[in-house]
Amino acid sequence: MKYEYWFAQIARVNDRKKYFLREYLGTAKDIFYIEEMKLNKMEFLNEQDVNTIMQAKKTLDPDMLYKDLKKKSIRFIPWFSEEFPEKLCEIPTPPYALYVKGSIPERTKKTVAIVGARRCTHYGEKYALEYGEKLAQCDVSVISGLARGIDGAGHRGALMGKGSTYAVLGCGVDICYPREHIGLYTDILRQQGGILSEFPPGTPPVGCNFPRRNRIISGLSDVVLVMEAGEKSGSLITADMALEQGRDIYALPGPVNSSLSRGCNQLIRQGAGILLSPERLLDELGILPISSGENTDKNKKVLETGENMVYSRLCPYPKNLSQLAEETDLPPGEVLEKLVSLELQGYVKEISKNYYVTL
Amino acid sequence: MSFSTVLSASIQGLKVEFVNVEADVSNGLPGFHMVGYLSSEVKEAAERVRTAIKNSGMDYPAKKTVINLSPATVRKRGAAFDLPIAVSILASLGQIRERSVRNTLIIGELGLDGGIQEVPGILPIVLAARDAGIPLCIVPKANAAEGALVEGIQVIGAGSLAEVLGFLSGSIALEPEPYPEDKVNSCIKEMPDYSDICGQKTIKRAVEVAVAGGHNLLFVGPPGSGKTMAAKRIPGILPPMTMEESMEITKIYSIMGRIDAKAPLIQQRPFRNVHHTATRAALIGGGLIPTPGEISLAHRGVLFLDELPEFQRAVLEVLREPLEEHKIRISRTHGNYVFPANFMLVAALNPCPCGCYPDMERCTCTSGQIQNYLGKISQAFLDRLEICVEAPKVTYESLSREKKGENSSQIRERVCRARDIQNDRYKGTKIATNAMLQVKELDKYCRLGKEESRLIEQAFTALGLTARTYHKILKVSRTIADLDQAESICVKHIKEAIGYRTIDKKYWGR
Repeated sequence: MKYEYWFAQIARVNDRKKYFLREYLGTAKDIFYIEEMKLNKMEFLNEQDVNTIMQAKKTLDPDMLYKDLKKKSIRFIPWFSEEFPEKLCEIPTPPYALYVKGSIPERTKKTVAIVGARRCTHYGEKYALEYGEKLAQCDVSVISGLARGIDGAGHRGALMGKGSTYAVLGCGVDICYPREHIGLYTDILRQQGGILSEFPPGTPPVGCNFPRRNRIISGLSDVVLVMEAGEKSGSLITADMALEQGRDIYALPGPVNSSLSRGCNQLIRQGAGILLSPERLLDELGILPISSGENTDKNKKVLETGENMVYSRLCPYPKNLSQLAEETDLPPGEVLEKLVSLELQGYVKEISKNYYVTL
Repeated sequence: MSFSTVLSASIQGLKVEFVNVEADVSNGLPGFHMVGYLSSEVKEAAERVRTAIKNSGMDYPAKKTVINLSPATVRKRGAAFDLPIAVSILASLGQIRERSVRNTLIIGELGLDGGIQEVPGILPIVLAARDAGIPLCIVPKANAAEGALVEGIQVIGAGSLAEVLGFLSGSIALEPEPYPEDKVNSCIKEMPDYSDICGQKTIKRAVEVAVAGGHNLLFVGPPGSGKTMAAKRIPGILPPMTMEESMEITKIYSIMGRIDAKAPLIQQRPFRNVHHTATRAALIGGGLIPTPGEISLAHRGVLFLDELPEFQRAVLEVLREPLEEHKIRISRTHGNYVFPANFMLVAALNPCPCGCYPDMERCTCTSGQIQNYLGKISQAFLDRLEICVEAPKVTYESLSREKKGENSSQIRERVCRARDIQNDRYKGTKIATNAMLQVKELDKYCRLGKEESRLIEQAFTALGLTARTYHKILKVSRTIADLDQAESICVKHIKEAIGYRTIDKKYWGR
């Protein structure tokens, strides 16, 4: 295995060529011990590739590398391994190998990816959390990219729903990027989830890695949910990949004037599924048929008149205290008092100083 | 008589040190020697004094002159010794009788033509002279009105050295400056009023609460949301100053040489808008012999710090002590100096570097940038700003549609009522406002009922409050109850106070 690991480490030879070479020679051990002359004769390798391989023989020591991997308790799963996710074999450009901390999605379980913009509104974040939680409760594995914004919310939702969730990184699995998600990173591992990457341990988070990891996110999933995406969002790349791989795409509709929902609305126009409620999605996935009349309890909140007056003016997009005071025509002190009441009862959240959203 | 002595004074920090100016003119090698721990501007007096005496039509004989300023251990600074030195020399020369300068405090800077120019620090010096039982002060004409504010001492304003000479030798009669009544009355200037601000009811309410309880205030809002405008109007709703307070502030301004001769008594609470490039010394006071800084100039008034995160962190941290103790202690090799600094701190900051957060349509900041921006202020400092309110962007509709709100005097009335309640409650203690309550006094003055305790307990866990914010919330709810003229703190007061709690940096971090 150490030779296989050594061979997978050679980043500058592309996956396709590595695949051919290994097929041709049988095992990586043969590649390690082959002479340069023979390598030169292989038509699909150019001079540079040969040089890279020969160089790697000198500089990388398979024993040391493998020992290091074991020490970090990272699993190495090459494409020919039994463990390698079946779903990834189907996609047009499968990764040569996966590096995994924790576990990989179980074959029998449904997998859903929750993706979206890093710079998101509270609206997108709220629904990412909600979908993550509901899906996890129904034993669906939630897959995302550990990024800021929607990705993080999706993971967090799944953790709240006591399910396992999997993060696919654009760097080595031993690196937590972004750093502030270290808490999330450890929580995912603690809750039987996994951190996956096609990049060898120690690979830094370089910009060009991220579109590549997106194809794995969609590849691992049965369905891709786009929660919030601007017109040029990276999530739309994921959606494109998902389409190429034949996955179903769902998008969360947003207000037509919100530039951060424009990508989602565009997807719906192009024929993506529309996310109306987690229950409906679960029904469409064939997991949990809709039970009628259950999802109306939200509107049955018992509030006192004044609080109701303020609450009715709130929405998932932030509104500030002065706006609310103006709309309700109440003195600001009173509005503030009602808002704190609502906040303590868990109906609203203050997301920035005196800016409120519904929960 | 070849020796004489004249009384003068200098300022050390805020204290007045009396200085005896001694002159000796005798035969010998002609020359002018000055001793007595002098700074270079005092030493330069030699040239000014000699020329001024000559240009005032008097002879200056070619003799040996020695000047001593005693006590010799006190550092002397400034040009205010010119006039006493000149008078002392003239007395030594026999031009003035020594008896006539006895028990007279003389101070002033001389021009080469013999004219007397104004100097800083007249008010505290005259006050100290009165307290020492000195009956007469001769001060520059430009400072006379300021000196005349002190009752129980004669203050004479002199325009030139010749005039002083004439007065002391009895050939010119100079009237003591009368108490500048008309100037005191006329110097109440028109102040900016809250009725100038359309809408912005939330800000006005928060300001009212803050002023009523003497709490420090933080505005969070985008540029152009009227934060500075609202802050500028705070002195206008603070309770009117007492004569004692006026004198206290006028003294500080006098030392800084900032007294307007047309309006010598400061009767409006100061508003100091400090730029974010300010250094520590500029803020708290500094120098070899320290002079008061911005926080002392804002004493009994408002200190406004706009763009809070742009200030150097170390500069903000030095504010913590004066915010707690209402004074600042500065230590130098010459000694310790204490300046008063009982001010209301009003600060403003943007929610993020571009100012648009949480409007994600327009905000271009990444969460890292926002964290960085807010990270420049320590949580300990933020915790000292008890009331925090958002300043929303002003829309055109609200500018054009909304009718004018209340004016400052209406707000001030309510503030004064709340302050009266506090004065009654804290009679006999050192506490003046709710903001000054110490933790151990909260139990006594901010007693909560069962329902109120339950509410605050719920808030504690639900909102993740810290012990410090909890205390601040109690104080602010006490103030809101006082504004409401309620005996005890109710649920609604606490709820509103919770709404004003200090920003927590994790809001933005998410």
